Amino acid sequence: MTEEAQVPVTVLTGFLGAGKTTLLNRILTEEHGRRFAVIVNEFGEEGIDNDLVVDADEEVFEMNNGCICCTVRGDLIRILGGLMKRADQLDAIIVETTGLADPAPVAQTFFVDQDVADKTKLDAIVTVADAVHLSDQLGEHHEAEEQIAFADVVLLNKTDLVEASETNEVENRIKKINPFAKIIKTTHCSAPLHEVLGLDAFSLDRILEVEPDFLDSDHDHEHDDDVTSVSFTSETPLDLDKFQNWFGELLRTQGQDILRSKGILNFTGVDERYVFQGVHMLMDASPMGLWPEGKSRSSRVVFIGRNLENMNLLEGFESCKAH
Amino acid sequence: MQSTLSLDLHSQMSAFPNAQITELEKRGLNIQTDIPVVDAVTITESVAVSFGDGAVRFFRPGLAYTTVEAHKGVILSMVADTGGVLTGGDDGRFLRITQDGATEEIYKFDSKWVDCVASSKNYSACSSGNSAYVWDELHLRPTRLEHPSTIGGLAFDAKGRRLAVAHYGGATIWEKHKNRWKSSRLVWNGSHNQITFSPDGKFIVTAMQENALHGWRVRDKANLAMSGYPAKIKSFDWVEGTPFLVTSGAHEAVCWPFDGKFGPMERKPVCVASNNNELVTCVTALPGDDALFAGFRDGSVLAAEVSDSKGVIPIRKATGSEITAMAVSACNTHIFIGDAKGNILWTRLVG
Repeated sequence: MTEEAQVPVTVLTGFLGAGKTTLLNRILTEEHGRRFAVIVNEFGEEGIDNDLVVDADEEVFEMNNGCICCTVRGDLIRILGGLMKRADQLDAIIVETTGLADPAPVAQTFFVDQDVADKTKLDAIVTVADAVHLSDQLGEHHEAEEQIAFADVVLLNKTDLVEASETNEVENRIKKINPFAKIIKTTHCSAPLHEVLGLDAFSLDRILEVEPDFLDSDHDHEHDDDVTSVSFTSETPLDLDKFQNWFGELLRTQGQDILRSKGILNFTGVDERYVFQGVHMLMDASPMGLWPEGKSRSSRVVFIGRNLENMNLLEGFESCKAH
Repeated sequence: MQSTLSLDLHSQMSAFPNAQITELEKRGLNIQTDIPVVDAVTITESVAVSFGDGAVRFFRPGLAYTTVEAHKGVILSMVADTGGVLTGGDDGRFLRITQDGATEEIYKFDSKWVDCVASSKNYSACSSGNSAYVWDELHLRPTRLEHPSTIGGLAFDAKGRRLAVAHYGGATIWEKHKNRWKSSRLVWNGSHNQITFSPDGKFIVTAMQENALHGWRVRDKANLAMSGYPAKIKSFDWVEGTPFLVTSGAHEAVCWPFDGKFGPMERKPVCVASNNNELVTCVTALPGDDALFAGFRDGSVLAAEVSDSKGVIPIRKATGSEITAMAVSACNTHIFIGDAKGNILWTRLVG
């Protein structure tokens, strides 16, 4: 059977008033040659100027697949299924979530539903953050942290309304939660659209290209349930069996608190780079070609989540080293 | 009724059913429409087919097919109705379309999709969002029946009195008592999509978001779990006789027996029509017989009898696009087969 082109899906998150609809309308007017379907929630802030706008109810369903429980967006499965039957081919789909939405069920939908995974692909999660209010929102709402934690791109918007020092502070806060996200400072969401669309951020080979800002793992916390990130590297090759045992058990037992995980691994006796990424308990992994000539074969892993300091992550990772 | 299909076609069986053009393809109408085929239903001697361009096309023996431009977007659901079909679309319209091309708009929803439709001799029904809407013959205004989540499936029983509605967390059965619709809830965790009554009305079965079917015995709401599928079940149909519920979602057509008081409880299904480990994506029964057609992900179609686990008859060779719709015309004279890329076959079954 021939592989069919998958339609890219961009997810726009961000709190009410951050500027999601401004960005959406910019995409729709500036990319007018392309055919988009826009899936919006019914509490949208302003009108959206597009032929194909679908109202969604953000129905979060629990799915039970064997031993792994997770949540998916039931309405998205239904709507994407309907859109894929259209005779006119879509260039891309944009899903706008409500301000208080947790992005995990959206991302998990693309891992769990086979039809969705076959016909569409999650291109990127783009989070629009309000430079004026983000700090307060991060302290008050879990969802704000999750939206930053899941983001591939953060548009730090309304930077014209705050002092430069304040913008830098917010930027550091974002980096602490998510060292992978590309942060674009904007006013009126005026980011170049090629930095927002067509990123293919969830494909495994893209992980090889994104260099996270590696941080010290012992930064200070403001609350115990803050979302943070840790990263480790190892020049010593890892043992495949040891890693699988440790990582499998880790996701099974701590997957609720691990929002995202990504890594490139160097195993003894394996010539290819092994790349993985996970969303809570779900993960996707594959060998991704030989290591580049002349570059060091070092393993790197990054975790974004809550209570990471209680998971003995460093010890676990170190114990996977081959001796 | 005993069909002559088996005898007529067994002689044409080839060693590579996927690769070679079948006799049915040679004598039939093969068209590449490039428009995804969504669904097909039998309307007496003809077949109505819904497409991803919003049109319904009627295929009749010996005549050119006719096209009715019905919806602006995709036709999401279609069911046979007296002399035609009822359709629901992503343009929010619920339509009645007859074979002569007449289109009547029964209802228009503002911006919501019409996801599911159902028809019986007493009622017409559709769903949009969390609500089902039921029209009887006398009333122009529908009765609105509300549910806890978006509706995944609608079906009337064979007598046309009870309406089954599938949704998140189970299903609801509605029946009219003294001018009021009364509901009875069937509970099972998870999201439930297409729904069907067994021909005798004693069981209700849903296809779930998980790779499983779920059933209830209506009398006591006893649960029937039918799982173990490698893929989501997108298609099912009732094979007459026992009867069997034939389902897609596995590498064979999986047929569950629904005879006796217990139906498939504690019993194994019969599996027929195996095809090089390809996944079955669409099934349809041959009316009046214990035979069925299994459409595969590679576009091939086989016929098989439930009582014969070995013999298969090639109907269509692989096209590379999954089978999305099949229907057999009355008296089993013709079959329509369509796939996700819009390749269609309309051909005589008997020689």
